[in-house]
Order: sequence, then structure tokens, then C-alpha cells
Amino acid sequence: MDDRTRNYLHGRFRDYYRQATITPPPAANEREWGHIPWTAGNGTTMIRHQSQLDLGDLSDFFTRTAPRHAYFSAGRYRDPGASTMGNKGWNEADLVFDLDADHLPGVDPDETTYKEMLAECKNILHRLLSFLEDDFAFNDMEIVFSGGRGYHVHVRDESVRSLGSDGRTEIVDYVRGVALDTESLIQTVSKAGTTQRMLRNHGGWGKRIHAELLTLTTELQSMSEADAIERLESVDGIGAGRAKTIYGAVVRNPDAIAAGNMEAGGPGIRILVDAIVEQVITEQTAPIDEPVTTDIHRLIRLPGTLHGGSGLEVKRIEREELESFDPLRDAVPRRFIGQEIAVNCEQPLTVELNGDTTKLPEGVSIVPEYVGLFLMCRGDATKARE
Amino acid sequence: MNSLHARYPFFEAARDAVRDADVDLSELIAAEDPAVERAHERVRRSLLEGTARSETPDAWTETQELLSYPVARILVSLLNSAPAIEKYAQAEAKTAIDRLQTDIEADDDELRSTSTVRLDRKRLLRELGLSAVIVPEPTTGPREPAWFRIDVGPYLELSSSTWREKWKLVNRELVDGQVRVERHELQKLLQKAVTNQVQAGLPFEGLENNPISDALEAELADLNRLLSQRSTVGAIDFVARELFPPCIENLLQKAENETQLIPVESFTLMAFLTGIGMDADEIVAFCDASSLDPEGIRYQIEYLKDDRGTQYPPPSCETLNTYGICHNEDEHWKQAGDPLTYYKKQVEQRRDDVTDWRETRS
Repeated sequence: MDDRTRNYLHGRFRDYYRQATITPPPAANEREWGHIPWTAGNGTTMIRHQSQLDLGDLSDFFTRTAPRHAYFSAGRYRDPGASTMGNKGWNEADLVFDLDADHLPGVDPDETTYKEMLAECKNILHRLLSFLEDDFAFNDMEIVFSGGRGYHVHVRDESVRSLGSDGRTEIVDYVRGVALDTESLIQTVSKAGTTQRMLRNHGGWGKRIHAELLTLTTELQSMSEADAIERLESVDGIGAGRAKTIYGAVVRNPDAIAAGNMEAGGPGIRILVDAIVEQVITEQTAPIDEPVTTDIHRLIRLPGTLHGGSGLEVKRIEREELESFDPLRDAVPRRFIGQEIAVNCEQPLTVELNGDTTKLPEGVSIVPEYVGLFLMCRGDATKARE
Repeated sequence: MNSLHARYPFFEAARDAVRDADVDLSELIAAEDPAVERAHERVRRSLLEGTARSETPDAWTETQELLSYPVARILVSLLNSAPAIEKYAQAEAKTAIDRLQTDIEADDDELRSTSTVRLDRKRLLRELGLSAVIVPEPTTGPREPAWFRIDVGPYLELSSSTWREKWKLVNRELVDGQVRVERHELQKLLQKAVTNQVQAGLPFEGLENNPISDALEAELADLNRLLSQRSTVGAIDFVARELFPPCIENLLQKAENETQLIPVESFTLMAFLTGIGMDADEIVAFCDASSLDPEGIRYQIEYLKDDRGTQYPPPSCETLNTYGICHNEDEHWKQAGDPLTYYKKQVEQRRDDVTDWRETRS
């Protein structure tokens, strides 16, 4: 990045921070703070191991420093300013989830527009929230647009704050469906002198799989026998004989299937369930970035600050506003709306931001400031003389 | 004081009872009270056999039994070994949970015919500070509940990622932030909670240069001798029965002849098999033809392994000799003083001539 561009961005970030109110996270004085300043060259040296005491008054700090990126720790420490993790004295940590559009299955970053990636990421965020809200029933959650390519969820329920990495790995595996073992979900119960194999369906993945099985059962019941058998035969490993037995159970013994009985429908039902497991994993898991969640010392972007790689705001989102939240409109800082600036592009570009599509030819263009900032932060444009 | 305190000495009430008994532990130790001998046994059996129970329960009064617990904590603190503290705490916990099981299972007749005060689960949960996070599912009738629900946070704190697949959260029924567990599974979680409780506050600080440590010299010397046999043998990770030391081969044959192994024998065998790098599933398969039951094997292995990856090695040949397990066959003591080192040397010499048992399994 050239000096003119960098100086311009640094100055405008400072203008943003003069007017912004940064709401610190809870227990701010127990956290480590870090930031990356607007230094010359390509270096991105993070200044970290600072306590709130080292920063001083937050709004003063941000106006003075106007950092390129700003972070705080998920961890809470006895002495957050200590220079080594050992000396900090770890007490507990928020449980943080990171969804990054770069790492979503089926999304090719080279083929997908920024807008499309963010939209897909929001779909996946809903999957994640379904786990956190329904299965885990967490109460203290904060949803944040990262300012870049995804979303963060900070969980601060007391019951999980003291968990170490191992416990957090279990939570990651749960939402990603890792090491899901169908056999472990099936339980042998004694009933009137005989044993039955039942799918544990009170909650967890067992319930999700069972719900899908019931959907399929209902679907089969509404079909003609021939269609239903054809549908069943489309599953790998289920031939005409097994399909017929399963269909028989679906029609004559739906209550057993509804109760989770894994023997009604013969051995074919297990093959069917295994296929459903695959389907449920594909459709319901949330591909979160594992190391972010399991690292109890992780630094995370501070909501309310600017993302130096996009010029967008790292923005807290109220749960009820998530549905209507559009990052490319709602995370555009108000401070940068209303003015126009000159930027220079090396190649023609199209930017969708704040509800408008701006087309830039190669060379110098006059564009809304937020568009210019966005492109300069990404390294796609440089500041041109006004 | 009541018998409950003697049997569950980590309870708050038991600590109060010790305090109320107005006993000066240092005087007790200096006077070589029988409680000291029982404390010694407590630690020794905990380290070697995984139980804090006495071999001769009738030999001790309730007071001696109760007082042996704080003395045992002093002893284990003086050993200056984190793994020893962990093994000790695990053994105390196992003992407590076994007793809880007995108390719960005792039927009404027995209850009337004995003056023993019994522990119920409710009380234990209260003692462990878990009443608010572990609740039984409603049952019909007076039967013990079959299912419990535990808050997911405590579930993850108490279970371990080294346990079997069915304990993984992804394979559990998670409902509204609670994990469903069966009664026998709850016991395992409670055992971990008791382990934590026993381990809390250990080791005691400031015992060095204290007259107490002088007074316990003989007991410490004996326990340190047990510990010093924890030789460190580098990773072997090769399984070839034909290279096993004679004593281990003897134990395997004994188990395969459907003879029950005594605790120190199965300890030695499991410590050896774990020590050469076998995991629980492999050991269960390896001992398939023996009298050892899979659940027992799994328990013992879990006990032998600790989270830091250090393991309890089998006792030295000399100690095994005193138990009649090792007879210095072919004068192998000249080659190595313990089974693991012996085996390691054998593997180094003959690795190319034999096949790893694991490769012979399909």
C-alpha cells in the first residue's frame, strides 16, 4: 500500500473513531487487547499483551491510535497485560464461534461474489444458531458480523466459560457432526422379556436423524406402493427385497418407527438410517472454524471497530434483527456516506455496497467514499489526487 | 462422628468431624497411632491396586478409618509426584462410588438390621455441589431413576475425551442444554467429581522441613520405593508376544487358563500392555481368550493412563518377585530390572524377525 493511500485511510479511520462509541465486552479489564496499526510497508505487526489499563480510556485510545484492526481476547485473565500466557493467569474464556465464507463447503471464493458468499455464510449461521439455541440452550450470546467474510458468535454463559480446549472440541465436533457414530445413538432396551434396538431420539443428533426418518416415512405413506419402493431402492444398499420389508413396516407398523424402533422394517432400516445420517450431516452441520473455538486464548475482532481489510464495521447484530441484516448495507459506516472521493483502479471493477452497484473503469474514478475505502482497504484501488 | 464420615471422608461433614474430634494430626503421627498405618495402606493400595479400601477392614475403628484420610493426604503430598496424587484421588473416588452403589442397592431388610448410616445420591450430589446441575428424570413408582439429565457444561468438565465413543457429545442426547445419561453412566461422572474433590488442595504446601515428614519417614520410604520403580521407557509401540518377558507370559497363560488373576497380577499385566503402546480396544482383543473381562480391563487401563500421557509402568522384577510373579527366569535380571525395559531390549534386538500382532489382525 502506498503512503498516500495509507495516510488517507488512517486519517479517515481516525475520523470514524472520533464519532464512534465503542461498547467494550463484559469484564473488559480482565481481557487482553491487541491491535494492528497503520504502519508503513506490508508488515502487519500486532501489538498485543495489553490490558485495558495499558490502553487507558477506550474512546481516547481509539481516537489517538485509529488502528487498522482491533481485537480483544476471548480469555479472561488475572493479569491480562502479562507478556506470556503462563503469567497471565487464565481464569475462563468466552466460547467463540467463527464462520468464514472462505471455508464453506460448496463455495468457491474465486467463482462467488462477496455478496453471495456472505449470504451463504448467513444461511450457515442459522444452522449454527439452531444448535446453540435449541440443543445447547445458551442464553448469553452475541452475534457479530466480522467486517470481513463472516460472522462470530460469542457465548458467555457461565456454565461453559471454564471449559478447557478438550471440552470445547466436543462442542465443535457436535456442531460439525464429527465422529457421529450411529451405533452409539442406538440403545438396546429390554421390553417384556425381549430386547429392542431403539434410536435415542430425545435430543441431539438422534433426534435430528429421527425427525428426518419420520419425514421420509410420511412421504412414503403418501405415495403409491410402487413409487415408495422405487424411492427406497434409490438408497445405496437397499434392493427390492429390503425396500419391500421397509415399506411394509411403514404402512403396517408406523408407530414402531415413530418410537425409534430400529428393527421394524428389517435390517434395511439400518441402511436407510445410515443414508439419512449422511444427508442430515450434509444439510445441518455448521462448518465453523475449529481452532477459533478451541483456542482459549484467542483474540477476536472488537465489535464497533473497523475492519482494516474492508473498511466495514465489525457489527453487533441483535438476534431479532438478524433476519433483515444485510452486511453490505448495515455494516457500511455512516461516517463514510455522503462524500465522494477519487480512487485509481488498475483494472475495471464492480462493487455492490449500500444498496448500489458501482462500476469502476480502469484508471481514476470519483466514487462514494465508502466504495473507495472498501476498495483501498482490500488493496484493489489506491488513493488518487482530488 | 458417624460411620458415614469414615466411609466418605472427603465430605465437608467428615472434615468437621475431624476438627471437632480435636485431634492434633502431628501428635497423632508422632505417637504412631494406628491411623497412620491405615493411612499408609490407603496410599499404597491406591497406587498399586486402585482402591483405598483396607484389606482388613475389621482391624480399624471408625475413628482410625476417618483420621487415616487426612494423614493419607499428608503422605501423598510428601511424595511430591503429581501422577501419584492423581492415582490416589482416583482410587479414593472409585472406593467412594463403589460404596455409594452398595448403599443404594442395600434393600430395606438390610437397612433395618444394621445401624450403618447410608448415603443416598441426593446427599452425594449436594456434597459435590452438583444438586443444581444433575436431576433425575421423573420415574413411575419408587424405583431408582434410570435416567438423569446433567447440564452440558458440567458434563463436559466431568467426562473425558479419552473415554469411549459413546461419551462424545455428538453421540449424546442433548436437550435444552442438558445431556441425558443412564444411571450407571452417572456413577462414572460422579467418580470424576469425587476425584476432583479429593485432588483439590493437594499437595499440601509447607510440609518440607516439618517434623511431620520426619515422623512419616518409614512410610514415605516404602511409598517412594514403589514410585521409584516408575522407570521411564521410551515409546515401544510394537506388540510381539514371543518377546514378552517370562513373568508377563506367565500371567497371560494363567489368565488364559481361566484362573482369576489377583489384583497385583492384573495390574502388572495391564500396566505392561499399556506401557508398550496398546490401547484399550487392542488389549481387550488381545486378552479375548482370557478370564479377564472387558469392562475390568477398560477400567484398569483408564486408571493406568493419565491425561499427561505418563503411564504407570509395571512394578520392577524385584517387587514382582516378592509377589511370586517374577522368578528371575534365565537370569533376565541381568538384562533389565523391569518388564518394560526387558521387552524394549528384546524388541530392539529381534524386531526384524517377528511380526507386530496388530498387523496380523485384519
